[in-house]
Amino acid sequence: MMNRALITGLGWISSIGNTQAAVGENLRLQRHGFETVTWLGNPRITTKVLGTVKGFEVSSHDWRDWRWPGGYEITPEILRSLPPHGLYALCACQQAIRDAGLVASDLADKETALFTASAGSPFMLHHFLGQMHQAKAERGNPMGVVSSISGTLNFNLATFFKIQGAVCGFVSACASSSHALGYALDEIRLGRQKRVLVVGAEEVHAETVLPFGGMRALTPNPDPESASRPFDRRRDGFVSTGGAVALIVEEVQTARERSAPIYAELAGWGQAGDGHNVAMSHPEGRGLAEAMTRAFKDSGLTREQVDYINAHATSTPVGDRSEAVAIGKVYEGSSRRPKVSSTKALTGHGLSMSGALETAICALAIRDGFIPGCAHLQEVDPACEHLDLPRETVSEKPAVVLNNSSGFGGSNVCIALRAWGG
Amino acid sequence: MDQASKCNHALASEKLRRLPPSATVDFDLFCSEHDEAALTRLIIAVLVDLSPTKGGGVVDWNDEVRLIEDVGFDSLAVAETIFFFEDLFEISISNDEIASLQNIGGLRAFVARKVKVAAA
Repeated sequence: MMNRALITGLGWISSIGNTQAAVGENLRLQRHGFETVTWLGNPRITTKVLGTVKGFEVSSHDWRDWRWPGGYEITPEILRSLPPHGLYALCACQQAIRDAGLVASDLADKETALFTASAGSPFMLHHFLGQMHQAKAERGNPMGVVSSISGTLNFNLATFFKIQGAVCGFVSACASSSHALGYALDEIRLGRQKRVLVVGAEEVHAETVLPFGGMRALTPNPDPESASRPFDRRRDGFVSTGGAVALIVEEVQTARERSAPIYAELAGWGQAGDGHNVAMSHPEGRGLAEAMTRAFKDSGLTREQVDYINAHATSTPVGDRSEAVAIGKVYEGSSRRPKVSSTKALTGHGLSMSGALETAICALAIRDGFIPGCAHLQEVDPACEHLDLPRETVSEKPAVVLNNSSGFGGSNVCIALRAWGG
Repeated sequence: MDQASKCNHALASEKLRRLPPSATVDFDLFCSEHDEAALTRLIIAVLVDLSPTKGGGVVDWNDEVRLIEDVGFDSLAVAETIFFFEDLFEISISNDEIASLQNIGGLRAFVARKVKVAAA
């Protein structure tokens, strides 16, 4: 029989809070984490709303200028090679380790892996490449590569936590950290690792966010109260966010032996490609429907057992409709209609981080007994009307939850969580 | 030879802004008078700033103090130090030259010579 895996620790640096208590409260009360911002000193930029990361000052390229909340072990030795989202990640990891009842040195063994997801740091990369061009490549900052390229989270966190198990980064755009979670489960099932630290992180600097404006994917809505409204007929693009979310995924026996706190079982996962378009979801939700079906097969769960689906829905016209169709297809012929919401209405879209953020939200919902509602949803898109979209937070403990993620190129992942009964 | 002509004060002011104000004074002294004692003080201030342990407990900062063994630098921190001085004085340091930069005396002699050559 394959090993099973539990989620035993969570850490959050997010637009809706930098502590679990704050995140839980803001989810339940449907308080968003958005603020109005100006980019590059240019008021003509139509992107006005951002899921900001509070309590950090990381607008400089030089770590000596950075500020962060108290209570974390942050040394110059690690800071010198970190990008801003690496600082978020370091804080989220330390929270998750504490939350799981572990200490950092517990991770420094061959049984613990580190799987990460981020887009790297376009902010730092742009700066270092600018320096390179200015000096005509006659000199360059030795930290330029390790603090900016995709993989920077692996390099830095593996060093800081002295990880000796598997170390790997995942790059599938907005499905990245869901892939990390899926493969973390597989590592544990195969007996290769006892524990995996999974972390997703992103920055909210112009260099990360604004290129999505060129794709017309960002909402021009300047009102933080309605800018992100997944499944609403008037949705017109996503609100970006960043931060970091860390999860401790642990093999059951290992967790039991140390009486670890348990949020939920990471019960299974599925992935499938759309085979369709570099940026747009398949109009019939082909890949996502298949990923959900594969998650059922992998976990042994049935569609009728699902109480809640945390949708990927980012508030774009095409993406939300595609996902609604995918869910409809999966539930064709079933009398069951699980509740569906996208918590991006409150957090914003965390890109590579979103799978980790939303799986953590699902784990919290299972443990604490609530189902997030569809904040900001006023007028349901007719194409989404077949979904059960609760407007308010539901005080019910979901037993089985799915978390969907979709990335560019039609890369779809569905993570299945189950309440742990021992 | 006009020593000051090779010192970019605008660039230096940005690079030195996180160091104690005395570092900027020493930079100016070295640039205007080629004062090697001022350069030594500047080098020590930079090493303390770049050191993961803020100086590694070094008490007597003499010419023999070694970057790796005494100040506790790793090879990346040495590379950061090299880059700092390359950028500060707009000079280039080759891999072969780095071998001579293992202690404070070597670093000072090298920078002093390099800036002279650049200004010549």
